Amino acid sequence: MTFLGAFAIFFAAIFTNNILLTNYLGMCSFISVSREIKTSVGLGAAVTFVMALTSAINWAVYHYLLVPHLVYLRFIVFIVVIAAFVQIVEMIIERVSDVLYAALGIFLPLITVNCAILGVSLFMVIRDYTFIQSFAFGLGSGLGWMLAIIAMAGIRQKINKSPIPKGLEGAGITLIIAGIMAMAFVGFSGMIAIG
Amino acid sequence: MAEGKKIIQKQKPMRTVLTGLTPAVAASVYYFGWRSLVLLFVVTFFGFLTEYIFDRFYNKPVTEAVFVTCVLFALSLPPTLPYWMAALGIIFGLVFGKLAFGGFGRNVFNPALVGRIFLYINFGNAMTGKGAWLDPDGTFPAGLVRFTLDSISEATPLRALASGGSVAVKDLFLGNTGGCLGDTAAFLLIMGGIYILWKKAANYRIVTGVLLGFLAMNGSLWLAGLTFDPLRGLLAGGFLLGAFFMATDPVSAAQTNRGRWIYGILIGVLSVLIRVFSNWPEGIMFAILLGNMFAPIIDYALSARKRKGEGHA
Repeated sequence: MTFLGAFAIFFAAIFTNNILLTNYLGMCSFISVSREIKTSVGLGAAVTFVMALTSAINWAVYHYLLVPHLVYLRFIVFIVVIAAFVQIVEMIIERVSDVLYAALGIFLPLITVNCAILGVSLFMVIRDYTFIQSFAFGLGSGLGWMLAIIAMAGIRQKINKSPIPKGLEGAGITLIIAGIMAMAFVGFSGMIAIG
Repeated sequence: MAEGKKIIQKQKPMRTVLTGLTPAVAASVYYFGWRSLVLLFVVTFFGFLTEYIFDRFYNKPVTEAVFVTCVLFALSLPPTLPYWMAALGIIFGLVFGKLAFGGFGRNVFNPALVGRIFLYINFGNAMTGKGAWLDPDGTFPAGLVRFTLDSISEATPLRALASGGSVAVKDLFLGNTGGCLGDTAAFLLIMGGIYILWKKAANYRIVTGVLLGFLAMNGSLWLAGLTFDPLRGLLAGGFLLGAFFMATDPVSAAQTNRGRWIYGILIGVLSVLIRVFSNWPEGIMFAILLGNMFAPIIDYALSARKRKGEGHA
């Protein structure tokens, strides 16, 4: 049952409750890094990795350290955990693999301040997920975020040479595209009920 | 600036699409009364005005594509929709779906669908609620002598089929059912569709892909006992209108031939999934918008693979 629930949560996090297109979290890096397809794939992969693992770590931290007395500290503790995790991963990657560091390394500091990561940890607390469910939710949310940013990068590459009205260039048109993408994703609503 | 003085720029493929849509417009009048035509004129008037004001600003002529957008948009509306909502929808669709992207040939999403889904999400009751549909009476002269019908219908064929009822295939084929203006006569839509395919205004790869994806997905869900049979599914609702006329918009579709196949199949599969599993009764509109969204990345992935292949060889 838990396994099935986790599976449903995984798909819901990608499609029906896409963290970016239905909750509008993680917009800053979504807008600034979606100019090229290659970099957005890199950032998407890094976000997925960090989101899945930090939601698991934060679950353990919350349930074993905070629940007894310190629940009110969860915001600050989650942020510290995410920042520390990202720093450690960056150092490990730098030592172990130059190729991976070149591909992901520059994105890691950006992720520390990505609100979608903190959002996933907080949703997990509000929705009372089990450990497996939290991990599935983090992984699904990351993949959903990656899907959205890759589609956005494709569209932005396509409109690269379009005569966009002056006032809408850059962030303006990106927000309009994100809005229309979100409207399209409304089509998935109700497919999978999320707990 | 001789070109700037021209008000309308002629485009032959757009003429073809308009011709292909004429039977469906006629059918909407026959089944739902003359109000359908008035609704179409209101939409076209505001659509043209929006485009005209915008293009004035950039000193460009209005392209004929705007009429196709307006007719497609009008055909996807329920027959009782208030005029102001229809006007709002087309203005939103054109401004944010097309003009913000730089006008004709630059739109990433189909502007008719952007407007339609904007209405769908914001005015759910007027678009799909209980009083939105009319129950046509197919005996001659039907709607030809009336402005609108008083027989408000509770459900469209899609709703009836989804809740386990049954609808005669003949009625779906001839269009003697409730639904959006363009949902009615399947055989007229198929005729119009074949006409624009024959004239090459629509790409056959996209249409075939959409139909294949739809039949495969609907067929397998039908065998699994989750939905009704593919034949009724094909003829009911706005699927044919979307498959022949909206998914094939050459600008917002995939640009490579293999990409067009993938794009079509993706739309067909998604339209069934949304229709069967989501809150919405009809999925093709959302499916095409999602297809538009992923079309550039499909093209990119295919061309990247090709480049790689050439590099190895």
